[in-house]
Parts: sequence; structure tokens; C-alpha cells
Amino acid sequence: MREAGPRTDRDLLRRYHDRGDLEARERLIEQYLPLVRSLARRYANRGEQLEDLVQVGCIGLIKAIDRFDVDRGVELTTYATPNIIGEIKRHFRDKGWSVRVPRGLQELNVRLSQLLEQLTIQLERSPTIAELAKAAGVDEEEVLEALESGQAYTTVSLSAPSGHGDDADLDPLESLGTLEHEYEVSEDRAVLAPGLRALDERERRIIHLRFWEGLTQSQIAQQVGISQMHVSRLIRRSLEKVREEIATGRQA
Amino acid sequence: MAADAISLSIPHSEPFHGVARLVVGGLAARLDLSYEDLEDLQLALVSVLERDGYAAGPEITVRLLVGEGTVGIAIGPLDAAELAADLERQSEHGVPMRRLLDTLVEEISVEERDGGHWLRLEKHVAVAQSSNGEEA
Repeated sequence: MREAGPRTDRDLLRRYHDRGDLEARERLIEQYLPLVRSLARRYANRGEQLEDLVQVGCIGLIKAIDRFDVDRGVELTTYATPNIIGEIKRHFRDKGWSVRVPRGLQELNVRLSQLLEQLTIQLERSPTIAELAKAAGVDEEEVLEALESGQAYTTVSLSAPSGHGDDADLDPLESLGTLEHEYEVSEDRAVLAPGLRALDERERRIIHLRFWEGLTQSQIAQQVGISQMHVSRLIRRSLEKVREEIATGRQA
Repeated sequence: MAADAISLSIPHSEPFHGVARLVVGGLAARLDLSYEDLEDLQLALVSVLERDGYAAGPEITVRLLVGEGTVGIAIGPLDAAELAADLERQSEHGVPMRRLLDTLVEEISVEERDGGHWLRLEKHVAVAQSSNGEEA
């Protein structure tokens, strides 16, 4: 039974560290989830889904809680913040990108994603490679190489397990207060086709908007609230998932 | 401007699809195409290259054809029966190939030549007023 009365961080930390009280640890994680979300948001629009970053940030938070020295005179917030940020940065460095993609190209890809947004608004059309190159201060060839390096990013992301249409497979964090819930999957029977069931709600929505509604990437980006380059990656990833799902279905 | 063409023959295996994608990227840069047009062309090409059952041999050729306001992609040789069936299939599975390509390019046709079947895609592109001052 949960104990009555407010608990300070320090009380909860002592309960966890001194007595191994896992409920206290859970409560700390819940309390600090808004901090994780706030920090993760800083790193959104860099080609990673916010919810993925929140999950990664939670790992940093848990590590901070586990390693925290209750006898030191610092606040958990102070200690946890660099841990959370460090975990997110490590994720970008080690998990999000293939090790074969040089750091410089990864950084250029991230920068191009931002420039693409800016130039699309500024020019009121999709920019050319030359315009992206000029804005980034690099050669066109480097832009193409960096865009191509985004493929490596997608491939790595795909190595993560994916859902197979069963809600139980969806990560609970995926469904927290997202716009996707507004999307009625019953809008088109086609989106319930077997292959598309491999996709999560956001991916289905994006595929629907692109291939059934005919919206452009930039229009989808605006509507869904993510970057255009992220839309592009999600489309590629979704189509690949669908292909895999259909191939698996054929083999079954 | 007379139609220019680039021809690329690659092993029909995934690691080489990136090479074809890069060539499309290079062409897009040369023609000053928009990022969105480039994305559409690359996605259309890769979707065809990666479709199971299309391969008619160990090697595949991608021809890029530059016309007035258009970029064409011819891919072949492909398995005629599989290609025809896939293009006609309204599909109970995933995103039908016809729907996918119709979204990404303006014209789709199948032609027979060199003893094989080729899928020909054509995209209307807005060639931007060149920012580097060169003729596209």
C-alpha cells in the first residue's frame, strides 16, 4: 500500500538506496519524466522521434537515480540533467547512426534537416541541392553524401524490433498524448490492409497522407509536426516494414 | 535540349541500390531539381529495385533520361509477368505499386526492348532558376 503524505526526492532516494524500495524508484522516475521530456524536446527535429528520445532520456534518468549519492549536497535535478542529456547524445552518436557514417556527415545531415525546413519556408518551395549546399556552406557533393548517409540511419533504426499490428507490441510511450490519436484509421479500409498493420499509428497516418491523400512531404511535415526529413525517413522505413511484413506473411 | 541519358548497370542486390540512388542525386543536383523531386525519384527507383520478384537476372540496368521539364527512369530487364501483375494489383497488401508510383511520378509505362521488359517512369520536374548561373 502506498504511504500517505508528500515525499521529497531525498526521502524517496533514501528508501530506494537504503531499503531497495522499488516503488520509491518508480515514483522518482514518474516525477522526473517531465524533465526528461523537456530535455528530449531540445533534441527533436534532428531525425529522431521525440518519444524515442524520451525513452533514451529515461535510461539516463534511471542511471542517475541509481548512481545518486544521497549524502552529497546536490539536488537530483542537478545530477540527473547531464546524465539525461549525455544519454541522448550518446544515442545519437552510437545508436542512431551506423558506425560507418563519419561524424561530420551525421552532423551535416542534421544541419541539412534544419536548413531544409528554413529554406522551404523562406523560398515557399522545396529548395534545390545547390541551395542547400550554399546555405550549409558545403559542396553539392557533400550535401548528396550527407543525404545518402541518412539511409544508414534508417537502416540502423530498422534493426529495432517492430510491432506486428498487435497493440500489445506498441510501446506505451508511443501512445502518450500524441496527435496520432486524432487519426481515424477507419478513414480508409486500405490502411487496415495486412501489410500496413505492421505500422504504428503515426506511420500509417503518414503513409495514408502521402499515398492516399497525395500530400507532399512538406505538407505532411506541417500537419504531423515533425521535420520534412523525418517524414522522408518514416515513409522509407514504413514501406520497408510493409515489404518485410508481406514477405513474412508469404513465408508463413 | 536533346534528351540526355545516363545508363548504369548494377548487380541486382541491395547494397548496390544506394549507388543508383546516388546517381539520381547527382543528376538532380546537375538539373537543379528540388529536394522533394529528388526524394520522389529516389523513392520510386528504390521501390522498384527492392521489389521481390521483379528481377529477371543477376544484373539490372537503370537508365536516367533527361528531357524538357522531365526526368525519366527506365529500369530493366524485369520479370514481365510479375511486373504486370503487380501494376494491376489493387492490393489487399500494403501500398500497391501502382498507387505508390502514381504518387511519385506522372507517367508509368512498360516497354519491351533488348529482349526484356522495362518499367519506364517519367516525372515532371520544375527546373529551378539556376542559382549557380549555369544552364541546367
